[in-house]
Parts: sequence; structure tokens; C-alpha cells
Amino acid sequence: MVETVDPQYKEYAIEEFLVRSEPYYRPIADEMEMFEAAYRQHIPVLLKGPTGCGKTRFVEYMAWKLGRPMTTVAKAGESVQEMKDGEVRVPLVTIACHEDLTASDLVGRYLLDADGTRWIDGPMTRAVKTGAILYLDEVVEARKDTTVLIHPLTDHRRILPVEKTGSIIEADDRFLLCISYNPHYQSALKDLKHSTRQRFISLEFDYPPADVEWEIIKKESGCTEEQAVSLAKLGEKVRNLREHGLAEGASTRLLIYAGRLMTEGISPRRACQVAIVWTLTDEPELQRSIEEVVSSIFE
Amino acid sequence: MSIDPLNEIEAELNKLPPAVGEAYKEAAEAMETSFNEEELGLWAKEGTSIGTQTVRSWESAVEYYKVSPSVARSLAFPSFMQWARCGTYLAQDSPTLAVSFFRASPLIVGNLRPQYIPRWAGLGRSLYKGTWKSSTLAAKFFEVSPDLIRSLPFWDVEVFASLIESLSYKSYDVAVECLVLGRDVLPEMGREREAFLSMCRALTEGSWREVKACLEMAPRALRQIDEGQTGRFLKLGERMAKMGLRETSRFLTDGTQALAQVPEGAQTHILDLAEGLLMISPEAMPPFLKSLNGVLNRVTMSQLDTWFEHGVQLLKENPESGIAFFKVESNASESLLETLSSSLELDRVKGVVRLYCSALAGSTMEVMSTQELVNKNIGWVHEDTASTDGTKVFLPPIVDHYPNKDENFAWFKVVSTHQVGHLEFGSFRFRFDQPASVFEEQRRPKLEKQRAEQHASQMQEVADSPELETQAHAFTDIGRFLSLFDDRKLAFDLFTVLEDCRLDFRIKGEYPGIRRAAERIQIEARSGRPNIEELALQEAMVELLIHMSLEQFTDLQVPTEYQEEATMLARILHMLRDAAANVEDAAEATLRAYEIISRLTNEPEQEEQYEPEDLDDPGDFSEEEYESLLDKLKAGQEEGGGESGEGNPYESPEPVDYRGDFKPEMVQLLTKLQSEQGQDGEGEPLSQEQLEQLLQDSAELELDPEQGDANNSTTTFAQNIMKEAGMPPPDAKPGQGYGPQLNDGEQGGELVAREPKSYVYDEWDFRAGDYKPKWCIVKEKVLEEGDSGFYNEALRNYNSLLNHVKRQFELIMPETFRKTYRLVDGEDIDLNAALEAWCDLRMKVPPDEKIYWRRNKVLRNVAVVFLLDMSASTAEAIDEGRHTIDDRDAPDDPVEYMVWLRRRREGLVRRHYKRIIDLEKESTALLISALESIGDTYGIYGFSGYGRENVEFYVIKDIAESFSEKIKRRIDKITPLHATRMGSAIRHATTKLEGQDATTKIMFLISDGRPQDRGYSREGVEKEYAVHDTHMALLEAKRKNIIPFCLTVDKAGHDYLKEMCGDMSYEVLGDIWALPERLPMLYRKLTLQ
Repeated sequence: MVETVDPQYKEYAIEEFLVRSEPYYRPIADEMEMFEAAYRQHIPVLLKGPTGCGKTRFVEYMAWKLGRPMTTVAKAGESVQEMKDGEVRVPLVTIACHEDLTASDLVGRYLLDADGTRWIDGPMTRAVKTGAILYLDEVVEARKDTTVLIHPLTDHRRILPVEKTGSIIEADDRFLLCISYNPHYQSALKDLKHSTRQRFISLEFDYPPADVEWEIIKKESGCTEEQAVSLAKLGEKVRNLREHGLAEGASTRLLIYAGRLMTEGISPRRACQVAIVWTLTDEPELQRSIEEVVSSIFE
Repeated sequence: MSIDPLNEIEAELNKLPPAVGEAYKEAAEAMETSFNEEELGLWAKEGTSIGTQTVRSWESAVEYYKVSPSVARSLAFPSFMQWARCGTYLAQDSPTLAVSFFRASPLIVGNLRPQYIPRWAGLGRSLYKGTWKSSTLAAKFFEVSPDLIRSLPFWDVEVFASLIESLSYKSYDVAVECLVLGRDVLPEMGREREAFLSMCRALTEGSWREVKACLEMAPRALRQIDEGQTGRFLKLGERMAKMGLRETSRFLTDGTQALAQVPEGAQTHILDLAEGLLMISPEAMPPFLKSLNGVLNRVTMSQLDTWFEHGVQLLKENPESGIAFFKVESNASESLLETLSSSLELDRVKGVVRLYCSALAGSTMEVMSTQELVNKNIGWVHEDTASTDGTKVFLPPIVDHYPNKDENFAWFKVVSTHQVGHLEFGSFRFRFDQPASVFEEQRRPKLEKQRAEQHASQMQEVADSPELETQAHAFTDIGRFLSLFDDRKLAFDLFTVLEDCRLDFRIKGEYPGIRRAAERIQIEARSGRPNIEELALQEAMVELLIHMSLEQFTDLQVPTEYQEEATMLARILHMLRDAAANVEDAAEATLRAYEIISRLTNEPEQEEQYEPEDLDDPGDFSEEEYESLLDKLKAGQEEGGGESGEGNPYESPEPVDYRGDFKPEMVQLLTKLQSEQGQDGEGEPLSQEQLEQLLQDSAELELDPEQGDANNSTTTFAQNIMKEAGMPPPDAKPGQGYGPQLNDGEQGGELVAREPKSYVYDEWDFRAGDYKPKWCIVKEKVLEEGDSGFYNEALRNYNSLLNHVKRQFELIMPETFRKTYRLVDGEDIDLNAALEAWCDLRMKVPPDEKIYWRRNKVLRNVAVVFLLDMSASTAEAIDEGRHTIDDRDAPDDPVEYMVWLRRRREGLVRRHYKRIIDLEKESTALLISALESIGDTYGIYGFSGYGRENVEFYVIKDIAESFSEKIKRRIDKITPLHATRMGSAIRHATTKLEGQDATTKIMFLISDGRPQDRGYSREGVEKEYAVHDTHMALLEAKRKNIIPFCLTVDKAGHDYLKEMCGDMSYEVLGDIWALPERLPMLYRKLTLQ
């Protein structure tokens, strides 16, 4: 076989994506403990929570954290690579799901070659083979038939049948499937099927309490402590309006954005206006109300 | 026989100038077709008789013969002769008149009923007074008559003629001019003509010169007023004219201009005011209308009322200055406008304040005017001071402290932040047993024990039964705390000051953004305080605390003799200026402050015994120093040989305005009563007697004995409070259940549907957790038919939107074709599959032969029922102010967005005064037209009703009925009726849908508020009943495979819709103007899923 690999695909080496430096994650409850336990017990994990509350960051962090002590677990058949100091061995494969994601997008497909065909593994297959954490973001967005694909991976079998090649891939010991979904989206039609749902343990995420959130904001945005505390307070207050026409509360991510703008020397009120007020709603009355809260909290 | 008369006539004619004979001959031929011979004879004879009336009347005769043929075509012979004779009489008086009469006739007779002809001639005659000028006028009248009669009813012509006649007494020239003007102006007028004429009539008495000006002005001026209002407006003018006021024409222009600027729909109100003003002083009315525009530019309609009333008051006292006031030429007027225009009405900012408070409090807060709270009569009495009852924030209806709106809004903000602060920082969460956090030593339990012992010893002495009292006091934690003190009033005042101090400190820390505004308000509050040195000692000490709580720590007047006590008080207060301090700390502080102050003799000190002191850093509070001070005071008391009862009785200090009414005991009481109501039977509920006792002891209430029997008013309070808390009043019979308001619905049991087309449904009782069997009767009625004009006009008005909607709907059709891949045959090759097959071939594996795709038609099979809320509340006018908000509903979809943008630019978003129901109707029309284009099965129903035995269900289009003119006409008749018992209506609609054989069934509910009906909802906890029943009805529909969807235009909808719809979809339409646009879009989305 000629080794003229399409360069596009070479760069695609998704399973080699490693979280190399420690991401910042501030645990709220026992979620780390739970995730570790699930990982060891090969139980898939479902992360629930509103947007921007730290689900993805959590997975990144866990990939990094699990990677280090786990290096010893590496089994035969694993590509032999020298471990550099501090390098991580649990790759993280993240797939953002969308409506048109097909099974072959995930599993892989045949491609034509100069004089034949060649099978290319999809990201899911690669993750299964290399023993990565496979993170399917916003899984409800994916088509129903693709969600069924994960069923054999998520029970005791831990296999990925690849119909087209006629093979079955047994998952690496370090493989873990992790999916996320946001129950706050109003469409009841895009709900997770119970047959899928009941293959996971569920970790519920919510925005951190104000006294923790300010730490996160400070750390992530580099703003002053006073600003961070105020932002956290603002976040808490704005989320109170979720019952009053606001579809989603201000996410931690948004608060951090506001903090970052402040670090750049933008006045706090203005930073909150662009990062929070205008982002959250288009309704003038609601905007005005949030602005009033902003102007109460910030001078 | 036939020759003789003719000869006779010829002979007669020959006596007259030859022109007559020629005219006769010319006419005679034409006349033969109309009249028989005998009649012709009479006709000809009349001509000669006209000709012989006076010397010059032959001219009239010529004219007579000339017009005869055309007149004869319209009139039968008898009427013709009548007409001819009228001419004869006129010729008698003046041949010129008769000539004009005859000349005008051909154009008149066709438009005037024959019997009116003599009257018409008489009108002309009445203008003729024998002079040359009068004959010109009368002739002119005949000249303009054809135009008048063609377009005016005859009686208006008569009135106009008499107007001209009375003008002619003053000046013939003016009369002529007016006559001509009238011809041009009057036909254009509508209903207002009558009023206009009678106004002009009134003018002729005094200022007849005005009439002409009025006629000139009228058409342009009157166009500016709402059609319905012109009559009233002119009536005003008439009355002014009758009162002899000049310049009516000025009034006409000024007045109409002023009214034209008034917001639509408000003209009536302005006219009310103007009419009222006219009664008081006619002179003031024109200036009022004249300055109206300027005034309205500065203030709102409701503020205008205030300004107006003020002016009226002034007018009654001094007419001169009153008129100046209305001219806005007086200081009083100017400054009042200044204040009004800068003042801020709560209603304007209510929405924002409500959301602001909800955000801060973390729970749903209602914002209400203090007036509503006072009206409830449950113990709150001050209309101007803010307050809260735990779920609602009450704010004064208007703020005018500052000269501009922003500052006034800042005041609202500070005040509401303070009120919400009570919730946010837990004033009402006071628990007696909860430890304080900054005060280490907990003195409350100790004191309570001490009190109990004391009490026990007293009990033995007095064989009374104070059980009632203790039980009542223990009902709330605040009550329990306050009952530790002999002087509850003093204790409560101290608690208020200290708790408010704690709150203000916390708020300043938490919300630095309003710090400046808050400080300003505090400084202002300080300036209004009484002088400390003028008060009795106890009061002075309380006042000292208030000053400190308002952040004044320097330059405080402290009695030299009690400097130590003051310092101790300052230390206690400073303990609360700590972010960690909680409400229990405020209580501990109260306890300590009370111990000190209550031991002082409440008498005024000499002024010179006060000295300014700085207490900004009094040092740390320590229990030891406090104890030793207390010991000293006790010793002092014993030396003095008396109890603390000496001196004047303690009076409460002036309240601090911006902090409002703080009533923790009432709030705790209400909350407790309400929560007890929810869970029946746990513990003994409070009886009304106990409640009354409790209220009487409460320091929070100001029971005014002068108002009558104090007991009586406590009884009222108690009853109102129980009502507020949703408790059944004591006279409700046991087992009757849900309180008196429900009795109507509650009495009796199952209902039977006796009439045809009526159906019985169960209703869900969420407290019982079961259905009430056969509880409601739904009466189905076909809505009567009105005019199909509404339907057509709605389509016309929304033409561009309709096209857009239709296009969108038509797009649904292709969307129902879905590509199916991997087929053995199909429209085209499926590239993916083909590639795989190719790969297989290369690999020498048998390929899959399913390599085609095809569009497969998915049958669209939708049945939908629309339920329109026809409750009385839909009659509400849509606030114009809201309209500006419609910028928000920009669609996300780029195509939709472009359309939306274009429509906005074209100004197609309508800006008329409308009711909610009008928009519902228009949306329905639009939807029907769109639905017809895609052919879904649909039914449209309205619902309303009154009581459970009378749920009205109106059929606008039955689901099985096909669309027809009838339905267009029914839409016209959709009107606001009574209440909304949603549950039964939904159940009936479910029944309708159940009978349909469709794969997708949808129920679309359009409402404007929460469900309510007699015996279905009530203030307090009961309203939940309706929400729960509706929820259950929707759930039933869902179980029957129907997709329910609720659309509400109630902005406050979020709070109950969540509960009502549960996980079913709903939408709150913030901007009701978007309804016609949103409804079809929603439907489209819903059916595509």
C-alpha cells in the first residue's frame, strides 16, 4: 500500500489531541470523584446543565487529570510512544453534534484510492481504538439513528460494530463515552430517548454558587477580586429572571467575558452591557431591567 | 273645444313681448310628449298668467317656457302645476326671483321630492324682503340650490337658509358670501353638519361676522378631529357662542389643532375637560385648548388631569389668575408643569421595577401602587410610603422629589432596593431561636425565661386567663420577640431603626452603583429630621439612633449627662454595620438598646445640656461595659425610687420616608396564615378572636380610636387579613370548603345537560386530587353572523404580511417531501451509496445495489382547533406605548427578517387604537386565509362564560364545516364577553378533535391572561385552582394524542403558564402587535415538527 495519505486527514489526527496543560476547573461538589469512579468502572457519563456552566471544561480537566496516573494502565497493542514528563495519555475526542451528523461521519468510511479503496476510521472509531474520552457535545442535536450507534459501546459489551468493514472493535480499556445535553432548551421533541439515557450516569451541572463563581471569574478573566465578586452577584441576580422571560440566565462564560473586558480597561457597566445585557435578550424592558441591576451593582 | 283655449292663449301671448311667444312655441312641441292636450292648455295658460303678473314678469314667463320641457320629464302633471304656481307667486313679488327659480328648477326637481318644492320656493321667498339687495340674495339662493339639494338633506338646507336669512338682517353682503361658502363647504361635512349649523346659528346672535370665518375654516379644521368627536366639539363652540364669546373661528382652529395633537382615543377625555371648564368659566376654555399642545408636550394625559384640576381650583378662587393659569402665563402653572413633567409615574416603569425587584429578591415580586395596599385595609395606611408584604413591593404611584426623571427613577430604585432588601437580607426570616452572628451573647432566650417567670408570678396574683394572649403572640417569631418588652412600641421602633440601618449598610456594600443616590436620599432624609435637643430624652435617644442609621456620625447633639449611654448606643449600632450581621443581630441590638433607653426618664432636657459629639468611632462593643452601664442605670433608677414609667409617655419618631413601612410581624403573620392554608389541619389555626387580639397588641398598627370603635376596626382588619391569606371567614359553614366566593359554584353537585348542544364535563380539583364529576356545562353555540367587511378589511390591511405568510405556508408543501436514500430505484444516484458500491466492486465484494434516492411524499394530515379567549379582558385597549417595543421581535431567519424589516420601513405595522380582541380577530382572518391555502382541517372556536353551569363555546368555524362567507361574517361578531373557564372549553375542544381522523392533532389556545371565572378563581390561593384545572385539561388532551399549544399576550404570563402548561409548549407574546405575524408562524413551526 502506498503511503500517500491525503494531507487533510493527516492533520485530522483527532485521537492525538491531548490536554497537555492543566485546565482550570473549580470543583463544586463531588463531580470529580464521581467521574473518576465511573471512569474506572467503565460507566458512561451524561453531563446535564445549562450553557456555559463548565461542562466542557470539566471534561477537559478530567481528561488531563485521569491521564497522568493512568499511564501505567497502558496495555499491549498500544502504539509505543515515549512519555514525556507531564504528558497526558488520555486523549480527548470532542464531537459537536448536529442534525446532519451521520453514522459514517462517526464510524468511518471507504475512500477511493489511486488503485483501490481505503478505509478511514471516523473519530468515534479512533477514540474507541486509542482509548480516549469521547465527548459528544449537545448530543440531542444529533440524529436519532446516530445516537443508537453508541448503544453497544455504552453497555457491558463496550464494542463498536463497524458494519462496512465487517468488524467489531472492542473498546480500549481507557475508553469512556461522555455526552452532554442542555435540558433547558424548550423543545420537548429533542429529548433524549430513554433507551439511550439509561445507559449513563448523570451528573447535573448548574452555575456555581456566587461565592465560588467569583473565584472562577477572577481566575479566568484576570479582573480584580472586587469586580469578580460583583460579577458573580450580577450573575446570581440575572438568573433570578429566568422565570420572567429570560430563556437562559447569564452563564459563567459570559460573566468571564465581561470580566475580561474589564481587564482590558473597559468600564464595568459598559462591559456588562455588551457581554451580558445585550447578549441575553432583545426585549427592551428586560434589557432595561437587567441594566438597572447592573447599574446598582457597578458604580 | 281644443282650438278655443289655444287661440285664447295665443291671443294672450301676443299681448306680451314676442320673446315669450317664441319660447312658448319652442317648448310646446317638446311638451306634447309629456302632457295630454288638456294639460297642455293649463300649462300654456299658467305661462301667460306668469307673464302678466307685473310689468317685467314676461322675462319670468320666457324662462318658464324654456325650462318646462326638462321639468316636465321629472314631474307628474299635478306636481308640475304646483311647481308652476310657485313660480307664479314668486313672479308676483319679483320677476328676477322667479327667473332664478325657474332657472334652477331643472337641476332641482330630479333631486327633490315634489312635496318639498313649495317649501323650497318658500325658502327663497323668505330671503326676499322687497329690496334690491334682498332680491339678489334670494336669486343667489336659487342659484346655489341645485348643489345644496343634491348633497344635503332637505332639512339641512332649510336650516342653512334660515341661517342665511338671519345673517341677512345684519348684512346682505356677508349673507351672500356665506351662501356661496356654504355651498362649497357643507356638502363635504358628514354627521357634524347639523351641529355645525346650529353653532353658526348661535353665532348670528352675537358675533355674526364670525360665521363666514367659521365656514371658511371648518372643512380643514374639522378633519383633524376624530369623527365621533366633532359633534361634541361643535356643541362646545355653540355653547360658547351662546354665551356671547367672540372669536369662535379662532376657537375652531385653535381647538381643532389642539385636539389633533392629542393622542388618539384621548380626544373624548379632553372634550370632557373642556365641557367641564365651560361650566365654570367660558373664558378659560379657549386658552385651555390653545395651550393644550404645549402642555401635552411636557406632561402625560394623567398628569394633565392634575394640572387641569389645579387650574379649575384656581379659577374658582380667582377667575383672573385661573385664566392666566390656563394660558400658562402664571408662575403657578409653569412650576406645576415643571414638577409634573419631571415626576415619574409608577405605571410607566412598573415593568422594569418589577423585573428589577424579582432579580434582586430571587423570587417573583409584584410591584403595586401603595394605594392598592391601603385599599386592602389590612393594616397598611400610608399611601406615600413604600412597603412590602413579602411577595409584593408597594411603591408610591408617583415620584416628584427631583426636577428630572432620571433622578426620580433613581429614587424609585433606591426605595425598591431597600424594600427588596428586607427579603434579600432576610428581615422577614427572623427566627427567635436562630443565633445572632455578630453578637456573641444571646440574650433573647434568657429574657424570655425571665419574663415567663415574672408572668407566672403575676398569674398567681391575677386569676385571669392570659393563655389566649401568649398563644397569639407566639404565633409569629417577631411577635414572640416583641412580647419580651413592656413597651412594645419602643421596642418595635428600635428594631425598625436598627434593622433599617443594617439593611442600608448591606445595600451600600452590595450595590455600590446606587450608593450615590442612596447617600443623597439619606442626606435629604436627615435634613427633615426633628432636632434632637427638642425631644424628650427617650425619643431623643431614638432620634440619635436614626441619625446614625442615616450615616450621620459627626456633629451629633448628645445630652452631656447621658454621653456614656449615647456612646454605648453608637457601639451597638456599629455592630450592625457589618456584612455578617443578620436580622437576629438586629434583634439582639434592639434588646440592648431597649434596656438602656427604657431606663431613661422620658423628659425633655435643657437645650444647653446638649453638646455636639462625634460618634463615628465609638470603640468596640463589649458585653462587660454594657453590663456595667446597665448596672449603673439600674442603680440610678432605684435611687430615683421609681420604675421607668416616669416622665411623658413615649412617642414614636417621625418615620424615615424612603424606608417606608416596615411590618415584619404582619408579613410573618400573612405568610404563616397562607402556608397554613395550604396544608390543612396541622395545628390549631388561628381564630379570628386570636388574630384580633394579636393585631391590637401589635406595635405596627396605628389604630386610630377616633375613627370609631377600635375593636370594630381590628375586626375589619382581621377579616381582611384572613381574606388576604385565603382563609375562610368564620361564618363559613364547616364542610363548605373553598370560601364564600366559590359558593355559587360550590353549591349543588352534578349538573345535567338538558338543552341540546350542551355537554357536561368534569373539573379537576387539585386540592382534592380528584375530578369533580359532571361539574361544568359547556353550551355550544354558533356565533351569530355579522358583516364580512371585517374579514376582507383585515386581509387588505395585512396584505403584505398575508402574502408572506402564504408563501411560507406554501413552502410547507415541498418540505413534506423527504429524500429517501438507498433505494433500488429512484430519481437519481445516491452518491455516497454509489461510491461504496464502487469500492465494493474494486474489492471484489458484491456491492449493494441500493444506490438510488427518491423523494417520498409524507402525507400531511393535520387537524387543528383554535381556541380564542373571548373574555371581557380582551376588550382592553392595547397600549400604544407598547408598540415601540416591537423592535424586539426581529425574526432570526434571514428571509423572515428581510420581510419584517421591509414591513417596518413601509410603516405597515399598524398604529391604531385597538383592542386585544381586534388583533385576535385579525389574526384569525389571516390564519384562515393561510390555512385554506394548504388545506389542513381546522376549526375555530371562541370561549367565554359565566359560572360553571354556563360555559359558552362559540363556533366560528366548526371543524367539519367548510369555509364560506358565513364564516367571514361570524368573525366580525367575535366580541369580548365574560369570564374564562379554560378547562371546560379545552375539554370540549378535545372532544371535537378526538372525532377527527388525522395523524397530527393540534390544539392552539390563544388567551390574554390567566383562567378565571366565578367559582373558578379568586384572590389568594384560589387562583391556583383554575390554573391546575387548565393544566389537567391540557394534559388530558395530550394523552389523547393532541398537541396543545398555549399562546398568551399577557406579559405576566410566565409565572402561571409554566405551571399551567407544564412541559407542554407555550409562548408569551411580549408584544401583542406581533400577534397577527406570530400566530401563522407558530402554527407552521408546530405542524412541521
